[in-house]
Amino acid sequence: MKRSQSHQRAVRWLFSLMCLMVAGPALAHGERNQEPFLRMRTAHFYDVKWSTDHIAVNEEVTVSGRFRLFEDWPANLPKPERVFIGNGTPGPVLARVESYINGSPAIQSGPLQLDRDYEFKTVLKGRIPGRHHVHPMVNVEGAGPLLGPGSWVEVSGDHADFKLPLTTLDGTQIPNLETWGVDMVVRWQGFWILLALVFAGWWLRRPLLMTRLRALEAGREDLLVTRGDRLWAAVFLTGTVLTVFGAATWAENRYPRTVPLQAGQFRVDPLPRNAHEITVKVERATYDVPGRSMKMTLTLHNPLSRPVQLGEFLTANLRFVNHAVPAAMALVDPRYPADIVPRAGLTVHDAAPLAPGETRSIKIEATDAAWESERLTSLLTDPDNRVGGLLFLFDDAGERHIANVSGAIVPVFTGG
Amino acid sequence: MTLPIKPPPEGEFIEIYGQRWSRWAATLSARLDIVISLIIILAITAAFHLHFQLLAGDWDFWVDWKDRQYWVTLTPIVAITFPAALQYVLWEKFRLPIGATLSITCLLAGAWIARVFGFHLWSYFPFSLIWPVLMIPGALVLDCALVLTGNFFFTAVIGGMGFAVLFYPGNWPMLAAYHLPVEVMGTLVSVADYIGYAFTRTATPEYLRFIERGTLRTFGGHSAWVASAFSGFVCVLTYLVWWHIGMLMTRVTTLPNRWRAMFGMPDHQTAAVAPAEKTHEA
Repeated sequence: MKRSQSHQRAVRWLFSLMCLMVAGPALAHGERNQEPFLRMRTAHFYDVKWSTDHIAVNEEVTVSGRFRLFEDWPANLPKPERVFIGNGTPGPVLARVESYINGSPAIQSGPLQLDRDYEFKTVLKGRIPGRHHVHPMVNVEGAGPLLGPGSWVEVSGDHADFKLPLTTLDGTQIPNLETWGVDMVVRWQGFWILLALVFAGWWLRRPLLMTRLRALEAGREDLLVTRGDRLWAAVFLTGTVLTVFGAATWAENRYPRTVPLQAGQFRVDPLPRNAHEITVKVERATYDVPGRSMKMTLTLHNPLSRPVQLGEFLTANLRFVNHAVPAAMALVDPRYPADIVPRAGLTVHDAAPLAPGETRSIKIEATDAAWESERLTSLLTDPDNRVGGLLFLFDDAGERHIANVSGAIVPVFTGG
Repeated sequence: MTLPIKPPPEGEFIEIYGQRWSRWAATLSARLDIVISLIIILAITAAFHLHFQLLAGDWDFWVDWKDRQYWVTLTPIVAITFPAALQYVLWEKFRLPIGATLSITCLLAGAWIARVFGFHLWSYFPFSLIWPVLMIPGALVLDCALVLTGNFFFTAVIGGMGFAVLFYPGNWPMLAAYHLPVEVMGTLVSVADYIGYAFTRTATPEYLRFIERGTLRTFGGHSAWVASAFSGFVCVLTYLVWWHIGMLMTRVTTLPNRWRAMFGMPDHQTAAVAPAEKTHEA
């Protein structure tokens, strides 16, 4: 066992070295390569938390939070009629143990609604040691993977110690799902490969190609396929059929209670929404290319009974937070990935709270190099040139209200 | 041992399959057998594996795609192709009835190479998720049917049907353990479902699985056998088509080079043969 593990390790190292010679390191999943409209106008993740940033093999990390499927969903994407709550990791480096959407199991896929919020939770178990970028993710059929923010999780220990045990409904104890049934696969396939070699060997032990071709052309088929050969084939044919059905019957008896693969769908209601919601209309939105700044003039209407202040603008997992609003700042976890919380934050030109029932035009600015580093400026080359995101507003009691913001955007190339 | 380049002296002849061979030529032929066999094995492994990956793909890659309906229907249909073509070549030219066994064993070898190096060592997928299917029993039946009938049509009917019908029971001894029921998060799933769920395929979400759809899955709980029978019927037709593809591939046809004449250059090839003879077959 030890020897085979060290052998495996040596092969893996050899492969890694070969590939390092031609490829640079891939640190994440190419999430920045997704087109801006996919990141700005589909699923907006917020309140995302990683329970820890370091686990050992077999320990668990929980990724939880919420997402809203955006109201201004791109017209070229199918609606979210079949959605799977996934996780963006570099393959199965972490085993997904459980996942929930609004408290319901999310082992299967199901339909979700636009302009509604959902709460998710995914429990992942450390499997392959290393430093892995872990994202929450929503897969939408036809639209592909929509990634939430990513954070690094370190997995320490030895993969050889990994175990994922399970007990089936008939009481069978599965010590580790990684290896379950593999010994039978190897034995059964090995047996048939051996039989195939025996069958082929019967013919291959004799002179082969040129000699048989000449004999066949000379009409000596009787010497190429003899009565003994036919008997051999008849025995093999009978033996094969009997062995297959005998083994299938044995398997039926050994596992009398089996179920087919499950292809059902989950049904889950979205989170309840407020009776009154703040509405936002984009009057004008520009992106200042040399200044790396998104500027928007918004008309906000507050139908609530309390005054509200604009605390955060969230788009494409970038959190532009208004430093002047303590309730907004309090929601920024110090362990949250700093690269997606721009330092300059959100500038709101009219800081006065929006009174109950008031409608007012407000200018905001979100300025940071992150627009470039997150490759969001390629928005300007999209055929559907719109910006989308969420605005987080806070009332004087500290309660948060979420509003959609979306509209056409105009690039400004000359600065100023 | 060195091969004599000059013709052998009188008396150094042997008889193989009723034909007179010099020892020198027989030795050379035996060595040629080895070289050509190695080339054939490598070529079939690569080509058949590529073909199978493109057409059976995910149904063969993952344990949670191996359903009673599409996996059972599709896999034998796309897998009987190369065996049929190779059976034509080896049977019609050499009376060697190992075309199906050879190609399916090569496919299995190629699949294991890809699973070990590409899926397991490189991408960390456990073998319980990625083991390839077994089709050797069906291949043996195809070859044995060819030996016993000596006729491609009866081989298509008996062997083609056998190839498909043996597929599901031939894999059930391995697959049954993965279909044990388990309760996860209050949901009933099979062990295979949970393995596919636990070991994340980032860009392959659950809904991509093309399994157990339509009304066949309610066919009295015996959809695997109905699917096998349908697959067998299509396998018979596929076999006949690919047998003829094998036939076409062994034909060497040359055409006179008309481009030379079109570019105003003398056409040596057509000039050397009779004007009426336009096509040569070797």
